[in-house]
Amino acid sequence: MSTPLLVPQLGNEITEAEVTEWLHAPGDTVEAGEPLVMITTTKMAMELEAPVAGVMGAIVLGEGEIAEVGATLTVIETA
Amino acid sequence: MPKSIVVDPEQTQSAGRLAFAAVDLHAYATPFADEVEARGGAQLRAVLRHMMIIREFESMLASFKATGAYAGIAYLYKGPAHLSIGQEAAAVGAALGYRAEDHIYGSHRSHGEFIAKGLAAIDHLDVEALEAIMAAEQGGAVRDAVAHGPGGKAHAERFLLFGFLSEIFMRSNGFNGGMGGSMHAFFPPFGAYPNNAIVGASAGIATGAALHKKRAGSSSICVAHAGDGSTGCGPVWEAMNFAAMAQFDRLWADKGGLPILFFFTNNFYAMGGQTIGETMGWDRLSRIGAAVNAASAHAETVDGTNPLAVADAVARKRALLVAGKGPALLDVECYRYSGHSTTDVNAYRSREEMKAWEAQDPIALFAAEMTGAGVMDAAEVEAMRADVAALIEGVTRLAVDPAVAPPVDVAGDPTLIGRKMFSDQDITLGGPIEGLSPEGSATFRQIKRKARFGIGPDGPLSPLRAVTIRDGLYEAILHHMTHDARLVAYGEECRDWGGAFGVYKGLADFLPHDRLFNAPISEAAIVATAVGHALEGGRSLVELMYGDFIGRAGDEIFNQMSKWQAMSAGVLKMPVVLRCSVGSKYGAQHSQDWTSLVAHIPGLKVVYPATAYDAKGLMASALSSNDPVVFFESQRLYDKVEQFREVPEAYYKIAMGTPDVKREGSDLTVLTIGPSLYPALAAAEELETLGLSAEVIDVRSLVPFDYAPVLASIKKTGHLVVMTEANERGSFAMTLAANISRFGFSDLKAAPRVIGAPNWIVPGADMEDTFFPQVNDVIDVVTSEFYPSKRVNKRGIRNWDDRDLAKHGL
Ligand SMILES: Cc1ncc(C[n+]2csc(CCOP(=O)(O)OP(=O)(O)O)c2C)c(N)n1
Ligand SMILES: [Mg+2]
Repeated sequence: MSTPLLVPQLGNEITEAEVTEWLHAPGDTVEAGEPLVMITTTKMAMELEAPVAGVMGAIVLGEGEIAEVGATLTVIETA
Repeated sequence: MPKSIVVDPEQTQSAGRLAFAAVDLHAYATPFADEVEARGGAQLRAVLRHMMIIREFESMLASFKATGAYAGIAYLYKGPAHLSIGQEAAAVGAALGYRAEDHIYGSHRSHGEFIAKGLAAIDHLDVEALEAIMAAEQGGAVRDAVAHGPGGKAHAERFLLFGFLSEIFMRSNGFNGGMGGSMHAFFPPFGAYPNNAIVGASAGIATGAALHKKRAGSSSICVAHAGDGSTGCGPVWEAMNFAAMAQFDRLWADKGGLPILFFFTNNFYAMGGQTIGETMGWDRLSRIGAAVNAASAHAETVDGTNPLAVADAVARKRALLVAGKGPALLDVECYRYSGHSTTDVNAYRSREEMKAWEAQDPIALFAAEMTGAGVMDAAEVEAMRADVAALIEGVTRLAVDPAVAPPVDVAGDPTLIGRKMFSDQDITLGGPIEGLSPEGSATFRQIKRKARFGIGPDGPLSPLRAVTIRDGLYEAILHHMTHDARLVAYGEECRDWGGAFGVYKGLADFLPHDRLFNAPISEAAIVATAVGHALEGGRSLVELMYGDFIGRAGDEIFNQMSKWQAMSAGVLKMPVVLRCSVGSKYGAQHSQDWTSLVAHIPGLKVVYPATAYDAKGLMASALSSNDPVVFFESQRLYDKVEQFREVPEAYYKIAMGTPDVKREGSDLTVLTIGPSLYPALAAAEELETLGLSAEVIDVRSLVPFDYAPVLASIKKTGHLVVMTEANERGSFAMTLAANISRFGFSDLKAAPRVIGAPNWIVPGADMEDTFFPQVNDVIDVVTSEFYPSKRVNKRGIRNWDDRDLAKHGL
């Protein structure tokens, strides 16, 4: 099964966020809740955590790319 | 990171009972003979003599106030005389415990502390150092005024007393050039820093001074001298907590609390209110130490009628402070024989009480100890008294003589005081601070990727793709933080959060705690400490999360930050930048534009940029300035991308005081303050379709302000609208309109019109458009008042009857 990691809704005025740093690489085994990626909005920077335990898939949006709220950043594959 | 300090529910929820560190009361018990043995006769004689000097000095002032004469010298002294007769042991004992390099800050009743600190410094310093100090002061003028008489340390004593008295009489060669007077005197070379006429104000300022000492790695201390009445002041509590913040020990690399002593001279009364039995909850002032931290701030109550008990306590507290165990608190009990001021008739205290304390006269008690121990005999005591009286008389004769102590010539030079308000100095930055690189910061890299101009082929770019006002501020602040080690930034939620609106986002990744830290929710202490830090040679960048919280720091902004440069006649500099965001959407207490309120206060520079380019350049100027700057930032504009020009990546400055033409036009001028720029520009576009060409000028700064570009504009257009989001009544927009009417009367074809916010509360988010001036309001005003032939009723909401509203207080 694969679970996507999405850019979350961050308050009613923010529509997009920028990926600033990947903390894991594709193929890494990650725990649920482990920080995967740093994103930043105009106001704040935050870490997004793995939604489930599993193996991280391809990076859909790389460092410096700007994503709309709801966009997929990567997926986590579980057996 | 506070993340490293886990708030563990198991620990917080464990049952128990709090214990408070015990507070000693009158623990001093050293026999006088031991003091003689330890300190020697000369030092003890100096203690007695210093107390006598203070007593005689203040008796002189009392005599002038009461009878217009002293020792046959007639003089009308009109200023304040808050005397400390009876409290001399507290001042002299404290000074005995200090070192010359310790800095004291005082109150309205600090003549004694000033003199005692000065005399102690003269005792400590060698004659060569004293001569250098006297030579440096006003080119030797004060030294020369008291040249007649014995040289060396005796000369330095006359120098101290004359410079001080001349200041009290507000003469041009007083220590503060006559700009401070009795309640604001100071002389930094002897470690006597500003006294303060606002009760308790020194607590926060001295705490900021101690912050500077800590950062500088100094092994000396700062002292806030305050009265017992000041324990009722919120800012004093804020200061004590600020000084005791846990982060100093738990998060800062250089551990240890601030080296500050809160020295309460407890004479049991404010003016006429009795603290101990009437207006305060404490039974012993020292009890309040228990509210500060687990060490009870090392609080003690000591006998302020015995200079040696005070000196002993101060020396012990000093040792704790130097060892990083600060803050400390002393409750120094004594009694004021004189009235609060010379109009005090003692209606609030009984004769019996006053009589009982007469027996505690510190000078009589100490003289008795000295004669009892055989250090002096009665005749020597009398000779000392006579000698002191002659000293004070001599200095007084000189200070009342206009030939020796010339009055400040304000009649001959009417703007003389005005010229002391600002230092108008800028610092030049050095190279980058080593080992402090933002390169690793994701925010830094993110901003680097952005476009430097915010308009793309398809219109404005998103704030993630182009530099915004927030980024402009960040870049200027980052540059100063990485090039000026004296600069310290703090405020509420400034560190990990990056400030409530993210201007400091990412800075915590590489700035140590002593450069950027979270302050408690103590607006008064935030500003007061910034002032003290700056007075000592630091540079302060502090933030109030919302401008609406200015009220919480009213005294600190309006009386302290603004006034010390002038009250010191330019001796002190005030490099403080106070960032205040102007909110929106949160209603009446979170959305007010208070720029006018601040611009009203003399001594503050006030800026309010509305573009990224201006924000960056003005912030760089503000941080380079030695003057205090209140820097307003609109929350609605933080995400605004630059639409007028490229924002250079490199560092640059924009001089404060220069309005900027953002759009050229020929039929009317719209002068805007802050975010009004944008509705003004939109209105200009619409007016163009009606055949009217509007010039739009952004003030950028309120203080200082150069009228020339605006006057040049109305010469062309003949019409002026001033736009502001502040309430119209008493606003800076009204000042601009009034002055431009005067300066450019012949060029105006109609009276200028101010379009501001109405004189009622800012309503909630959905109603804000009815409050802040909108595009249609401008078009209505311009077409109805200036160009009636072009009239189009846009039904802007603002066509109310201003005269009728005024009748109702609106
Ligand atoms: C903020 C403020 N409130 C009130 C005053 C007026 N005032 C001047 S001195 C004083 C009493 C202060 O008492 P305390 O702190 O005990 O000092 P003391 O006069 O006894 O030395 C008052 C109320 C003031 N100067 N500042
Ligand atoms: Mg008092």
